[in-house]
Amino acid sequence: MVFNEPVEGIGDSTVVILGRRHAADYETEPDFIRCVGKHISSRDPSITVVGELDFVNSLYPWFEPRTAPLHPQDINRLLEQEPVAERMAELKTEYMIWIDGRTERGDSAGSMTCGIGPGGAGCFGFGTWSDDSNYEAVIWDFTDQAEVGRVNTTASGQSYMPAVVVPIPIIAPVQGTACDGIGDQLLEFLSSEY
Amino acid sequence: MSRSTISAPDLRWLLAAVFGLLLAGCGPAKVIVEGNFPPPLMAPLPMKLGIWYPEDFSGHEFFDQAKSRSDSDWLVQTGAAQVQMWDTLLAGMFVETVHMKGEPGPGQMNQLVDAVLIPEVDELQYAIPAHTNVKVYEIWMRYRFRLVTTGGDPITDWTMTAYGKTPTAFLQSDAAAVNLAAVMALRDAGANFATNFARVPEVKTFLDELHVEPLETGL
Repeated sequence: MVFNEPVEGIGDSTVVILGRRHAADYETEPDFIRCVGKHISSRDPSITVVGELDFVNSLYPWFEPRTAPLHPQDINRLLEQEPVAERMAELKTEYMIWIDGRTERGDSAGSMTCGIGPGGAGCFGFGTWSDDSNYEAVIWDFTDQAEVGRVNTTASGQSYMPAVVVPIPIIAPVQGTACDGIGDQLLEFLSSEY
Repeated sequence: MSRSTISAPDLRWLLAAVFGLLLAGCGPAKVIVEGNFPPPLMAPLPMKLGIWYPEDFSGHEFFDQAKSRSDSDWLVQTGAAQVQMWDTLLAGMFVETVHMKGEPGPGQMNQLVDAVLIPEVDELQYAIPAHTNVKVYEIWMRYRFRLVTTGGDPITDWTMTAYGKTPTAFLQSDAAAVNLAAVMALRDAGANFATNFARVPEVKTFLDELHVEPLETGL
């Protein structure tokens, strides 16, 4: 299948970005989902991104971790229910984007000691750790009930925390970089201006 | 210059308040579960369901005793949230729901309904980072449901599980994380019940006898 770049906006239709939550050992972070949504709507204001919690609440219980559709074909079965079909029509959802992945803390090293006494308090030492992000987004075209795209992003970075009396964290923006990376790729699918 | 004075009765109240605060400081960390539970989006079943919440259910709580001096005791009260969630869910699942005046039983004067649902929390387990060294709070619940007549005669009973978890990364405190894990478990309980109620074999038979046809969702 060849990807055709969008030549016009999605009009009145909306996009919803949802995090996969059915894995046993991790959850895709809600703040990452919000970040991707903000990234898309800020770069192309003509795209309306429905909030994840609003969407899940308005379609309860069909998008809970236990019940959420795993394949685009499952949407058909959902739409057989009249109240669900009506709500989806109200929301005008054209694209449903599922994001799966997480940011994980990796190796850490260093040590720090903190103390408190009559003269004051303070810390001394040095700590460092790494963060790794790995996310995949799957785009479902709601109208055609088909998967139309799949993009992924990885990012990693080392954070440091030197402390001479006061700890000063120097945090690598790993999750933010992953958010920008996946957001930019999704814009190529959704936006005619990007 | 004005000076404030404390009378003897005021002093007693002040001492009592300070003593109370000290005692509270020694007591368990308490979480009263709070959350918003959306109504289910589904065609309601055309039956009149009675609801009876036993006291153990409407006042449900669980207590975790500290395993070491560095831990603290936890008291998590889920009863009010249970009632809120199940009231919202059942009101959306059935065309009419009625809270029973008394526990269904022989000679009990109750409203006329097709059947009465009695939920109970059969078992609850949980894991917090102090137990597992993983930064995830988890709650498992097993419910037992009884479906009875207004006279208390059993129609059927069955069990159902629910699970909720939340990572700590985006939360401020342990109490907020425990609360969110409990809310997620309650939402999961609602989703499990809503999608599987009509599939319980005895319930299906009962609905067939009532000529109630639930929509097959296939999920």
